Amino acid sequence: MARLLVRLKLRLLTNALRSSRRARVSFIVSTAFALLVAVGTFVTLAALRGQSAPVTQTAAVFTVFAFGWLILPLLAFGLDGTLDPATLALYPLRTRPLAVGLLAASATGAWPLANVLGLAGAIIGLAHGALGVVVALLAVLLQVLFCITLARFVTTVLAGLLRSRRGKDLAAFLVIPIFALYEAFAQVVPRLAAEGKITAETFAGIDRWLRWLPPGLAAHAIQDASDGHAGAALLRLGLVAAVVAVLGGLWVRSLGRALVAVDTSTQSSAVRGAPLPFARSGIRGTVAGRYLIYQRREPGSIVRWCIIAVVMAAASVSTIRTPAYHVALILSAILGAGMLGTFNANSIGLTGPAFGLEASALTGMRALRAYFTGRGIALAVIAVPLLAAVSFGLAAFAGHPADGLWVVAIDLAGIGAALALSSIYTVALAYPAEKRVGSPVPGTADGYGGQALAGTFGSLIGVALATVPVILALELTHSVPAAVRMPVLVLCAAGYGLALAWIGVRLAARAAGRRLPELCQIAIRSKL
Amino acid sequence: MGEPAIAVRGLRKSFGAKEAVAGIDLEIAAGSFAGLVGPNGAGKTTSLSMMTGLLRPDSGQVLVDGLDVWADPPAAKAVMGVVPAEAQLFERLSGAELLEYSGRLRGMPASEARSRSAQLLDVLDLAVDAKRLVADYSTGMRKKAALGCALIHNPAVLFLDEPLEGVDPVSADVIRRLLTRFVGSGSTVLFSSHVMELVEQVCDHVSIIDKGKIIATGTTGQVRGGKTLQQAFIDLVGAKAGGGEGLSWLGSSSG
Repeated sequence: MARLLVRLKLRLLTNALRSSRRARVSFIVSTAFALLVAVGTFVTLAALRGQSAPVTQTAAVFTVFAFGWLILPLLAFGLDGTLDPATLALYPLRTRPLAVGLLAASATGAWPLANVLGLAGAIIGLAHGALGVVVALLAVLLQVLFCITLARFVTTVLAGLLRSRRGKDLAAFLVIPIFALYEAFAQVVPRLAAEGKITAETFAGIDRWLRWLPPGLAAHAIQDASDGHAGAALLRLGLVAAVVAVLGGLWVRSLGRALVAVDTSTQSSAVRGAPLPFARSGIRGTVAGRYLIYQRREPGSIVRWCIIAVVMAAASVSTIRTPAYHVALILSAILGAGMLGTFNANSIGLTGPAFGLEASALTGMRALRAYFTGRGIALAVIAVPLLAAVSFGLAAFAGHPADGLWVVAIDLAGIGAALALSSIYTVALAYPAEKRVGSPVPGTADGYGGQALAGTFGSLIGVALATVPVILALELTHSVPAAVRMPVLVLCAAGYGLALAWIGVRLAARAAGRRLPELCQIAIRSKL
Repeated sequence: MGEPAIAVRGLRKSFGAKEAVAGIDLEIAAGSFAGLVGPNGAGKTTSLSMMTGLLRPDSGQVLVDGLDVWADPPAAKAVMGVVPAEAQLFERLSGAELLEYSGRLRGMPASEARSRSAQLLDVLDLAVDAKRLVADYSTGMRKKAALGCALIHNPAVLFLDEPLEGVDPVSADVIRRLLTRFVGSGSTVLFSSHVMELVEQVCDHVSIIDKGKIIATGTTGQVRGGKTLQQAFIDLVGAKAGGGEGLSWLGSSSG
């Protein structure tokens, strides 16, 4: 059974490779990344040799890997066919050989190998003496086994939920903390390390908690063996092995249940009974109402709004507390609006086949203008307060809360430009979108990379250029008292943004009128 | 016979080298319940997409209720309702919101859209699930919701692509009764299907399409020619020979 399932996994991998160029590129990138992680982790762990208290840092690395194994399979559910027990439920398989097979399938691939190779750096960094090396080998293998069993247990227990619409929605939100954590690590950790605020003591503090978790136990077992405490080392390894055994037992039981459990996809609750918003505002209000509901109910939309806020904060974090804080505020405002444009540069493709319903009702230029205006209103209703709040927050964090006002002027101009450009790109650069397993934000269908790239860079560059007049006006009116300058600037920027958005709507509607059937076909080809 | 509800002349569409629709002519009288039948890949969906203004033809003319679909798409769209093969719905709206949205997109006042939506949901047996998201609907419920969207503005002509595909018998009966009532009031229905029993039961006009061409059209009786519609269809389209002679191992008597 183990060999069969390993072959199944390899076959699924090779078939995916043959299916499309994107799958090949994605495989190569993933393998290269796995290799990079393996080498990076190995070197990092090996370099701890001779440093003070290397065990605390090794325990931290072991724990980070376990966390990754816990989270990533939830995101990649559906990507690996062997993760979902339902795919094997039709076959006459006994639970135990099936469990062994699935475990073997999990251990197959570039990432599990990268784990073993990377964590093997602890053999050099932490182990001393023959006993230390032997225990280190065992600890690394047990740690990887723990990671795989943990991932299998969690995905099997949650399999019913993950197959359902609600479960997929919840899994999509996992991207937000992961993205925020990544930004924090990429931006904050290097700075704190450079300022000497992250030291060996920091890890020692964390280690007081981590040492009692299985990854920490494995790391400390290597330390104990290297210090000659063979009994303590074996006891710790025994504890890890016991945890793996218990987890494995629980997994086998949950696997048995999952094979005959109900599919939760049809269990759902009702939405609130309120009618569509903007009841008396014609097609414009109707479309705005629908777009607003989607911004709230579609996880991909919520993720995109959160990413805009995180990117705005991350773009300014390195300079916000320096005298050049105003550059950070400008950059953050432009990036926020630019991302708004980027994320909405293919609204019709992202609406998907349902656009056919709208297209069959959009009769004439007036209706199309109302459609694009409604879309813009819905996006502005969220974008204006969100970007203003982040800008004010960042200005307050910089110690100059009043400066939030002029940043809002840039926000408003940027939002207007983003709405205008995204309306035009939505028609001119429309492409079918495809749901990607493991990602809450749909990607580009094969062969449309150029449109997606043009939409992204066109939005970012266009928004940046469109905000230049407002930035210039800010610079040129420095001598005017703020009480006069600020309200005028904010009002003018709002008017400018509105004018841009209005032009965008007219151009987009005119272009859409000429190619509505083609746009419809593009939307129908979207797989969401 | 007065002006036909649907008139198609010389409709063609190619995708690269493949000619999906090779010049079809069709006339459906107002008040007809018409079926467009054909094997998989015959060109049914492509034809219906072109008739409903969703796919631009290479050449040809389509008149719906006397309005040229490709000369004046907005006017033609206003008098037709469309239920595509794979119900293309807003998954994140509830059933009630979806129908109301559809009505308001057609320019209906909010109160009217809401009231018609409630009545349609009731008739379609979806009232209990009206507040559930469409994403959580079964295939039959989705088809019924799509039918509600297509009917909410009371179109003169209704196009349906495989309306009962994957629908349970109870839902199928609800849809069939609603369509019969719709046609009884003088409106026109054209639907594509490959379920011959259904077409024979409900349609008064049948057209058979194969390889992008209409190979037979007329009243159901004329097309059947004294046989069952299934047999007439197989005779016209041509059945594949072969009863699986190579499968000698198949069946309990083979051991």
